[in-house]
Amino acid sequence: MGNFFPRWTNWLVLKLAIALFFILVGVSLGVSYYFTPKYTRVGYEPTQPVPFSHKIHAGQLGLDCRYCHSFVESSSHSNVPTNQTCFNCHGTGKGNIRSNSPKLEKVIQAEATGTPIPWVKVHKVPDYAYFNHSVHVNRGVSCVSCHGKINEMEVVRQAEPQSMGWCLDCHRNPENNLRPLDQITNLNYDASQLDRATFYKGLLDKGVKAEEIAAEIPGGGLLEKAPDLQQILALAEKTYGGAVAQQEVGLQLKKHWQVSPPESCAACHR
Amino acid sequence: MKRIWQHPQEPKTGRRYWRSVGELERRSEFMNKLGVEFPAGDTMNEEERDNSRRDFLKIMGASLGAMGLVSCRRPLTTILPYTKHVEWVIPGKPLLYATAIPKPNGGAQPLVVTTHEGRPTHLAGNPLHPTAGGGLDSFAQASILDLYDPERSQRPLRHGKNGVGWSSVNRAIRAATESVSAKGGEGLAVVVGASSSPTFTRLLGELKKAYPQAMVVEYDAISRDALKAANAELFGADVLPVVNLSKALRVFSLDCDFLGVNPVGADSVKEFMVNRDADKGVDSMNRLYALENRFTVTGGFADHRKPLAASLIPVAAALLAAELGGTQVSALAATASEDLKTWVKVAADDLKKFQGKAVVLTGSGYGAEVHALVATANQALGAFGTVIDLVKPDTVTPAGMLPDLVAAVRGGKVSTVVALTPSDLFYDAPGASALKDLFKDKKVSLIHWGHSPNATARHSDYHIPAAHPLEAWGDLRTADGTYSIVQPMIQALYGGASAIEVLLALLGKKKLGLEEVKPADPAAPPAPAPVDAAYAAVRETFEKIAGGLDEQKWNLTLRDGFLKGSTFAKGGSLNAGAVNGIASKATVLSAPTAEALEVVLVPDSTLWDGRFASNAWLQEAPDPITKLTWDNAAWLSSKTFQGLGLKEGQMVKITVGEKSISLAAIEAPGHVSNSITIALGYGQTKLGFVGSNSDGKGRGFDAYKLRSDANQYVLTGAKVEKLDEIYELAITQEQNTMEGRAIYREATAEEFKKTPDFAQKTGMDGHIPQNISLYKGQVDRKTPENPEGFDYENLHQWGMTIDLNKCIGCTSCIVACQSENNISVVGKDQVRKGRIMQWIRMDRYFAVPKWGKDEAESDDVMIKPTAEQLENAEMVSQPVACQQCESAPCETVCPVNATVHTEEGLNAMAYNRCIGTRYCANNCPYTARRFNFFDYNKRPLDELYMGPLSTPSKTGMRESLQLQKNPNVTVRMRGVIEKCTYCVQRLESAKINQRQKQRDSKNFRVPTDSVKVACQQACPAGAIEFGDLGDEKSAVNKVKASPRNYQVLKYVGTRPRTSYLARIRNVNPDMPNAAAIAAWSGKQF
Repeated sequence: MGNFFPRWTNWLVLKLAIALFFILVGVSLGVSYYFTPKYTRVGYEPTQPVPFSHKIHAGQLGLDCRYCHSFVESSSHSNVPTNQTCFNCHGTGKGNIRSNSPKLEKVIQAEATGTPIPWVKVHKVPDYAYFNHSVHVNRGVSCVSCHGKINEMEVVRQAEPQSMGWCLDCHRNPENNLRPLDQITNLNYDASQLDRATFYKGLLDKGVKAEEIAAEIPGGGLLEKAPDLQQILALAEKTYGGAVAQQEVGLQLKKHWQVSPPESCAACHR
Repeated sequence: MKRIWQHPQEPKTGRRYWRSVGELERRSEFMNKLGVEFPAGDTMNEEERDNSRRDFLKIMGASLGAMGLVSCRRPLTTILPYTKHVEWVIPGKPLLYATAIPKPNGGAQPLVVTTHEGRPTHLAGNPLHPTAGGGLDSFAQASILDLYDPERSQRPLRHGKNGVGWSSVNRAIRAATESVSAKGGEGLAVVVGASSSPTFTRLLGELKKAYPQAMVVEYDAISRDALKAANAELFGADVLPVVNLSKALRVFSLDCDFLGVNPVGADSVKEFMVNRDADKGVDSMNRLYALENRFTVTGGFADHRKPLAASLIPVAAALLAAELGGTQVSALAATASEDLKTWVKVAADDLKKFQGKAVVLTGSGYGAEVHALVATANQALGAFGTVIDLVKPDTVTPAGMLPDLVAAVRGGKVSTVVALTPSDLFYDAPGASALKDLFKDKKVSLIHWGHSPNATARHSDYHIPAAHPLEAWGDLRTADGTYSIVQPMIQALYGGASAIEVLLALLGKKKLGLEEVKPADPAAPPAPAPVDAAYAAVRETFEKIAGGLDEQKWNLTLRDGFLKGSTFAKGGSLNAGAVNGIASKATVLSAPTAEALEVVLVPDSTLWDGRFASNAWLQEAPDPITKLTWDNAAWLSSKTFQGLGLKEGQMVKITVGEKSISLAAIEAPGHVSNSITIALGYGQTKLGFVGSNSDGKGRGFDAYKLRSDANQYVLTGAKVEKLDEIYELAITQEQNTMEGRAIYREATAEEFKKTPDFAQKTGMDGHIPQNISLYKGQVDRKTPENPEGFDYENLHQWGMTIDLNKCIGCTSCIVACQSENNISVVGKDQVRKGRIMQWIRMDRYFAVPKWGKDEAESDDVMIKPTAEQLENAEMVSQPVACQQCESAPCETVCPVNATVHTEEGLNAMAYNRCIGTRYCANNCPYTARRFNFFDYNKRPLDELYMGPLSTPSKTGMRESLQLQKNPNVTVRMRGVIEKCTYCVQRLESAKINQRQKQRDSKNFRVPTDSVKVACQQACPAGAIEFGDLGDEKSAVNKVKASPRNYQVLKYVGTRPRTSYLARIRNVNPDMPNAAAIAAWSGKQF
């Protein structure tokens, strides 16, 4: 019997296996990054029919989000404003601000014909997922948590993947995103800007018991007698340091507002 | 080791519940279907399969190529905001309006309409309404689909053809009135239907004033002329009796289906249920006696029922009148059989004990003598002024009857007929085709107004499409007179006109059709909205009724849906003299025999007189008694049926005099022998797919052909002949069966007093062994010992109860569920295959007290019941939907976790996850799951098997139907299992609304009983309670504490959240055969 297979074939199987391993690892890494909403959706920035700048309106001018998206606190949808809203400022005989700017051409046209402006949808939740804006913004979740810093965007861009896993991350750990209700539309908010004394006093004023507040501060533990505000502040400073931390605010609000985000399918799928 | 679960054996003796005679006798047709939830077998024939395989490959090849192209880009979607803001509308939030809709037999159903961005999507009863508040019947519930019906009449027709505009209709109306105005309206005839609209009546009066010689004729296919004539004679003209059953403790029905298609008051079901609460004490419960030839929902609900031929109802009325001390009509009463005499006597003795609290009712189709006798019986019982109010309605117009019109046309006195009746003259009038020819011969110009392109529309000179009651202004009164404004909530989709608008057009006050909108000139100031003439007319009527046009009062009436204190004036009394006059005219009757049968024509429980034929929800809603969908049939008693040697669906030829029809026959337990019942309203042609099938030949069989007078409901001397052909009927009674499990529980009042918790001990429920498994799963209340349990403290825990002592089996809940949850219609062929999609299934069981020949001890379950036993069968109804088991068998078998439990105790469905293995459905002991075998929403129902090759114009969801869909519920596609989820969309939105209010507080619980599910809202009897089990004050918790509360199949250990309350039959122990009624099935074993 002669040698049918030359010597180099002895290692072929092993080489192939190693090569295959690297290919597989590469493919799975590639798929897990490029095929997920993190890559496919984040950064989506379609051109809009009207060159409306959120940066100017929400950023420079400091308009509140709810001036235009007026039903965000009462409806599942955050409405796109009607022409009437635009014309409150830009309309002739109303605000008269740049009322003949060529950029407003399509708005004026829509007003005359009654045909709405076809705004391009940026954030798209699938049909089978029922997201509700009102329940989030009424319960301490800010616009910025899902939409990013709109006040810095000339044209709106998708900032977060808005995939199911991403939703669940927050539903499982809501404390990372909760903030006081007066800060919901403050897109530049950071927990460190809060005044600790005011925050805790606000909770106490709402009727939350001091010992319950203390129990939510790690290291606070169960106290024998109800602490006063100063003791709470001292305890918080010991745990979180000088500046107010997001965890600190989030845990308190989660507990005392009874924030229990649903994790069952029926919450979003019906 | 595989353990095979043995269900507890059925008791060998005592009572048994069964759905069909086939089940009772273990006929092979039933046994083959048993346990096969999804029947196997070919879904298509050889040819279809060959073609479709080839085509499938072709299309797959093409679409693979196309897929590569489309999948690269994210599709561009746009958001279109309103340009001008619409008052009250918040995008994403439903807006509710109060209005009313006419009931098919006159009267009004007050409504609350849910609209989403201007489209009405769901109807519910108006809970604030003083008399007819609460639920609604399936006709009203389904009428939302009529609005979006793609087959409804959409444009004016000229001689049945398209191509005329509204302007020519307006010209025709003007021409018609101008031609007769010189002669004071001579030659003009207006045909109207029963209407409770004061504006309509007022305008009709104005028309009469403007054209004094014009003829006004009232015609309804389900005519009440005999009743009206009798009432006029008995109580005086313009006086109507209105029955308030909430004041009655004893009710005797002489074939009056007051819980079904023959209501007698503003809301007979609700009023009857007021005294039906067994938990308030059985002594204060009402008692219902019923005599009828066939089962109706009323008969099924009766405490005592006796089958009696409809031709003998006058005899029974005479007996009753005599017993109660009223009129003696010995000629009639003497012919009664002995057992009928005893039956009526014992019942009458019971009624007599309840002076002022008892009432006798009779079907509106019976002759004047029956109504006269019943009136004397009621007089003797002191019912007038207590249970029965005599009122003077203002909505009665003196009008002629159809024969007057026919005579006038024949005499050439009428040149123009305007038909405003919702009935279909050329289909349902006696001698319809002859009438059509007569109109043609005499060159009568017919202007027809109607909702569908029906026979009259096709043969009229001009057809005017009707506006849906949600599209136009109007007003209505409920039976007791409470005034409601009908307000439009959507612009007429196809520009249709309401009957009021047609009258206004006849009076020259309105132009019909859509106003032409000129493009607005941006510079011009906004033009004032033109005043709608109908709106102005309604306001004028309102001014008269409310005593002044107070803007605030008007707005409050619009908001509440009714005008407070607007009931009819009371007045009138029984004219005793007239009674004897009418009663003496009664002729002696004989019982039907096998040679001369009787035929009883009844309004259909789903199509009424046929006007709902195009409504797919109603076509597919199973009849409460026969469970027949999409067709009608001749109901025969077992004796007659088996005597003729018929099979289910076998054709028979029924001859009455010179008229005859052929139709399919079915065996109806509880039906009297030698009697045939046929539902009217079927067999209409050329109405489109839903109304008359794709071949246009009609669904079911037209029984109007047997009538020679619109008041004929009982035809005697009929002959029946067996034909060879077998017609395919779609009957759901043997589908999704839970055969052989003791799931229905009932007892007599006496038994209940002795053993209040009988329902909890029936079968083996009293001694179920404890669950000793270490793994208990997520069940029960969360406690330190049961950490996996449900959290009642910090979450809502939803639960439901269904009171079988109130459920009449009317199918209103089924239609409500269909409307709320976007449930698709599957069509007759698919229903035959057991693929009906309705989430709620209304199980209807028959029962015979002692069903074997030798009921003592016999192992043979195949004992044939006697014909007499079948005739005297009892009937019960039980709605079954997903029971939301805490320990749900379906969840553990789902390979993809598409059905999982929520922390609030719901058995949730994630439709987008379902891959359609159907394991869950196989594992569900309640057979509550449904599978989408096809894309029922996208594919035309008559071309399901064509797949993507179906006719393009019919493929895809019709645009108008898209508007009806509830935006908060997924529209399911092919290959997905679906089922009841306790209207989870309503629960979520209630929770969200509460959180909007809660904001930074802990007050998470939705206000007690503020959230209602669709079936609960629809139930006219209030049988369904739903709510938060974690809320101690909730109604559902109170009801669950009742001793009658039991869980279906408790021994399986599924721990359902839905429980039932056992039915209590308030049996009169003195009645013959009382011991056998509801002989307690609660044997323990």
